[in-house]
Amino acid sequence: MLLPKFEYFEPTTLEEALRLLSELGGNARVLAGGTDLLVRMKLKVERPSQLISLRKVPGLSAIIPRDNHGVTIGPAATAADLSKNELICDRFTPIALAAGRLGAPVIRNRATIGGNLVNARPAADLPPACMVLDATLKLKSTHGEREIPVGEFFRGPGETVIEPNELLVSLFVETPAPWSGGAYIKLGARKTLEISMVNVAVLLTLQEPQGLIVDAKIALGAVAPTPVRAFAAEEFLIGRQPSEKVFAEAGAIGVGLCQPITDHRGTMEYRCLMIETLTSRALKQAHERALGWKP
Amino acid sequence: MKKIIQLTINGGPVEAAVSPNQTLVQFLRDDLGLTGTKHGCGLGDCGACTVILDGKAVNSCLVLAVQANGSDVLTIEGLAENGNLHPLQQAFVNKGAIQCGFCTPGMILSAKALLDEKPNPTEPEIRTAISGNLCRCTGYQKIVEAIGEAANVIRGREEL
Repeated sequence: MLLPKFEYFEPTTLEEALRLLSELGGNARVLAGGTDLLVRMKLKVERPSQLISLRKVPGLSAIIPRDNHGVTIGPAATAADLSKNELICDRFTPIALAAGRLGAPVIRNRATIGGNLVNARPAADLPPACMVLDATLKLKSTHGEREIPVGEFFRGPGETVIEPNELLVSLFVETPAPWSGGAYIKLGARKTLEISMVNVAVLLTLQEPQGLIVDAKIALGAVAPTPVRAFAAEEFLIGRQPSEKVFAEAGAIGVGLCQPITDHRGTMEYRCLMIETLTSRALKQAHERALGWKP
Repeated sequence: MKKIIQLTINGGPVEAAVSPNQTLVQFLRDDLGLTGTKHGCGLGDCGACTVILDGKAVNSCLVLAVQANGSDVLTIEGLAENGNLHPLQQAFVNKGAIQCGFCTPGMILSAKALLDEKPNPTEPEIRTAISGNLCRCTGYQKIVEAIGEAANVIRGREEL
């Protein structure tokens, strides 16, 4: 598999990268981990005439705690970094779990969170995890910057609101309230190097240990053209006492919101059954973690 | 237009001119003659091209040679010391974890990255570490055993 020809740029500052993006126009692509883009170029799905590498732009891979109220994640943070970072594992569990299920170790050492979001594949691992944590994405161009909630970022398979001259420069995630627990479950035919048949991310917040559910977030991947939040299932859960029965009912409501397709990975009917099962299973796992929450 | 890159390969400095669309595996094999690293699928699915780049196992088919500028690369050719096989290589031989041999360099480098980080891995950790490396001959069992044996040998040496 050979790569077609392209021009290669390696800016050393963010300003230079943004200037290049704006000058080169729509046929330039940003190169981060390359585990998706280079594959798509080899398969001739994408033919950019210029690549702008981010490897020399300082600070883009940092994971920075913001006191106790949140974390800023650089778009070039790798899936391996995120899956092993203590703070991410502890407080932003769905991101750590999803990052740890992406590809295989050799892929995770290169693949970045920014790439996983911007590529906007419907079955990607990190988008549902970022959605249940209500991440905010900061997009920057030479003209200015804007912040977009991750829930408004995806438009369709491979499509986002990002403009050709914009770069995703950081993600901010607020720390979930006390007594929160998260989960991420990915279903495929094998454990690694797999594209999800269905994936589910969940964040559950209790009023107090053994108390009522005060907040619930559920996001599903590979079930619609973009990852989707199961709002009706979330609303159903809020104010209820957690139980297996309640989680199962939420799973059943979740199915109603999805439009899965039949393809070589699985049938529509099977996906619907799995959405129900995995949603309730993920809620159960998130509940167990919420009960084990430590200040 | 070609770009000049300077990097360390198997402990020695290398300077070369590479095309932007040349991948690291092409550079290692075609330009440097280091054919121990195998070019398999080219898409990051098989792991035959695994090398250690700045301490981390990566698919060298998905890294541009220009992206390795300034980096430290370890390939299978860099493992033996003073003509003696690395404990991982020896364990693969001892356990019969090699059949056709095509996946072996990648397997060994994924295993090396694991043992550098976790000298005493559990069996699930070993299996996860090589989960991006496909083997169509051995059924993996002997590879897993060989990595476990190599871990024991390396730890034994360090205790001496």
